[in-house]
Amino acid sequence: MAGNESIRYSLRSISNRKTRSLLTVFSISIGITTIFIFISFGLGLYNYIQDSLSETSADKLIIQARGVGAPGLDTTFKLLEKDLRAVEKTSGVLEASGVYFKIGEVEFRNEKIISYVMGYDPKVPLIMEVFNIDIFSGRELKSGDSKKAVLGYNYLVSDKIFSRPVRLNDKIEVQGTSLKVVGFYEPLGNPQDDSNVYIVEDDIDTIFNDQNNSYGWIVARVNPNDVETISEKIEKSLRKSRDLEEGKEDFFVQTFEDMIESFLSILNIVVGFILVIAFISVVVSAVNTANTMITSVLERIKEIGVIKAIGAKNSEIFLIFLFESSFLGFIAGSLGVLVGWGISSVGGNVLDSIGFGFLAPAFPSALFIGSILFAVFTGAISGVVPAWNASRINVVDALRYE
Amino acid sequence: MIEDYFLLALRNLKHRGIRSWLTLLGIFIGIMAVVSLISLGNGLKLAVASQFGISSTEVITIQAGGLTSAGPPGTAVTNPLEQSDVEAIDKLPTVDIAFSRILTSGKLEFNDIVGFGLAVSIPDGRARKFAYEAVELEAELGRMLKDGDVNKVVLGNNFYTNEETFGKPIKVGDKILLQDKKFEVVGILKKKGSFLWDNFVMVNEDPLIDLMDYGDKVDVIVAKVKDKDLMERSKEEIEKKMRELRDVDVGKEDFEVSTPDAVLGTVNSILGGVQAFIIIIASISIFVGAIGIVNTMTTSVLERKQEIGIMKSIGARNSHVFMQFLIESGLLGLVGGFVGVVFGLGIGFLGIYGINNFIGSEIILEIDYILIGASLLGSFLIGAISGVIPAWNASKLNPVDALRG
Repeated sequence: MAGNESIRYSLRSISNRKTRSLLTVFSISIGITTIFIFISFGLGLYNYIQDSLSETSADKLIIQARGVGAPGLDTTFKLLEKDLRAVEKTSGVLEASGVYFKIGEVEFRNEKIISYVMGYDPKVPLIMEVFNIDIFSGRELKSGDSKKAVLGYNYLVSDKIFSRPVRLNDKIEVQGTSLKVVGFYEPLGNPQDDSNVYIVEDDIDTIFNDQNNSYGWIVARVNPNDVETISEKIEKSLRKSRDLEEGKEDFFVQTFEDMIESFLSILNIVVGFILVIAFISVVVSAVNTANTMITSVLERIKEIGVIKAIGAKNSEIFLIFLFESSFLGFIAGSLGVLVGWGISSVGGNVLDSIGFGFLAPAFPSALFIGSILFAVFTGAISGVVPAWNASRINVVDALRYE
Repeated sequence: MIEDYFLLALRNLKHRGIRSWLTLLGIFIGIMAVVSLISLGNGLKLAVASQFGISSTEVITIQAGGLTSAGPPGTAVTNPLEQSDVEAIDKLPTVDIAFSRILTSGKLEFNDIVGFGLAVSIPDGRARKFAYEAVELEAELGRMLKDGDVNKVVLGNNFYTNEETFGKPIKVGDKILLQDKKFEVVGILKKKGSFLWDNFVMVNEDPLIDLMDYGDKVDVIVAKVKDKDLMERSKEEIEKKMRELRDVDVGKEDFEVSTPDAVLGTVNSILGGVQAFIIIIASISIFVGAIGIVNTMTTSVLERKQEIGIMKSIGARNSHVFMQFLIESGLLGLVGGFVGVVFGLGIGFLGIYGINNFIGSEIILEIDYILIGASLLGSFLIGAISGVIPAWNASKLNPVDALRG
């Protein structure tokens, strides 16, 4: 029997059993849809993280003090100017700069919110290189920009932070101090970072005049070929400046990659867990497919007997049935991928519109091909046993079968 | 009559091949996931409640407003609470007693090893007793702190039982360094099953303020209400007083006054959201399982055409045939659901055991009979609904054609 003919025979038998084929396809495609959606969002997140690990952050080391809460808010362990001097003087460090992360009340036209206020030295804007964001409108801070502020993107959007958008040259109040807005950063894609207020280092002391003005981070630009050794040297000079013994450090030095990595491992667990649950539905639908195929073999025992009697080989019967189940898988996979793509795109748009742009799904072509292949494979696997049984049917028994 | 349907359906189910049972996998797995996740979630809620260690219901806590996501109470605030606030609240008519709590990070040195953690203040005088009672703090070894203890600490249970951090257990009478200052351990707390309390270092309020150079700042104010029935009134009273003290208008509060129920409510709503999300995904497999039942029942009607023909020719009505297949299909679902519930509870038990081991809590799984009942009824209904169309088809068969096969 020619290959084409086997294929035509299979297709005909699928269309003869419309309801059952449809149900089977439906059940596989639900599983594929679910998996597709989760993988596309998972990949999107990984991409977002990879993007933030740009080349600009590869030569940076970040020094942080121990303690609880967001960096710099702890009142017991502080990073002070003398620590910054110690880091600067370490050999291998090209430049270093301290960054403040404060919590402040931001007021605009009688509306008040609480947000992060970041203070840095515009002469050494290493933190902006780590964050890797560009100005959206206006300009960045310059040294001497006292009582000026650059804002995160969300301040430009009405009803996101304040009911009316903030514009260039508007005045906002931070902890009661009036600041002129000179620029906006482009969106980072998460509601917290996009509502940051950036001010110059010198303003931190005047606006937040409590005693705890500890740097959240000290960022050091170092010789990129020697990050490990320089990191140890920084630890050593900080131990000296803070008068600590080795092994009793109340601070840590890490690369931006190190910081992100701990986050990645959590992400892996979450994505893995969700995929396992989604995978269950694929297993269930594979059983459904096997079921459909077994029934279809039973129904056609006589037919198989006839085909064999006129000369079909066992292997041809096997292939016919295997093709049938794989084809069901293929249709289901294509359908599942299409629906999943639709849902992910809509979901991504909705998330973007509410400020979670970093949760954008990614659609590499490998995901489409992989998902469909996976469905075909699932179909084929579930078809193996029924197809094997069909191919083994004894011609005489089959013809006699009622 | 209805029993006959069930008897007949049961007999038919016995004759089913492996195929039918495989279809149940979807219902089984789905119900298992739902049951185990809900039981686990309920267990987690209990675990969270035990983490806060709040056992008294007459407690109101006051915190300054800020970005709560950025750290423990008192860290990420714009305008911290002050000691004078505590005194003002203490004087309110509905408040029995109020005290301040300081929660600060610190380093503890013992056995030449440095560890980092949280220290919590214990108030003096009459408030001390309440501070111990409100979270049921008791010493397992040694004694609790008393007024006038200066260079003395009481440690959470993990410092004694967990040797990993400091190489050996810290015992009563040992000397430790807090922020490089020498303290004597006078007591070890009884195990609380709380990640927080079992790792806390407790120091009297004044020495802790001196040690950490904390000044006038207060992280949390804890108030005991005179009577349980006064909770709401007292909450409003405190809010009014705080607005006055901090000079803010209604609706612009830069502080939070919360009852234990409210604190737990927030945590539970987050957990509930996670649970709902996972259950939706698990329901997908129930749905796929239902499709499987439609498939099996369709096949089963085809296979039993002749049988249906015979039944009809000896007087069965369409409705009889319909009911028979419907109930058979429902029972199929029920079997899947039953096995799912059993396995789901099993996983729930294992999960709770894991949580207990992991965070040192002592929660037990409460078997939720409503959940079990609903799962079983649900799986029967899912089965029955999946069987409607095949059963309808079966009931509409023409007896003569059916007999012919």
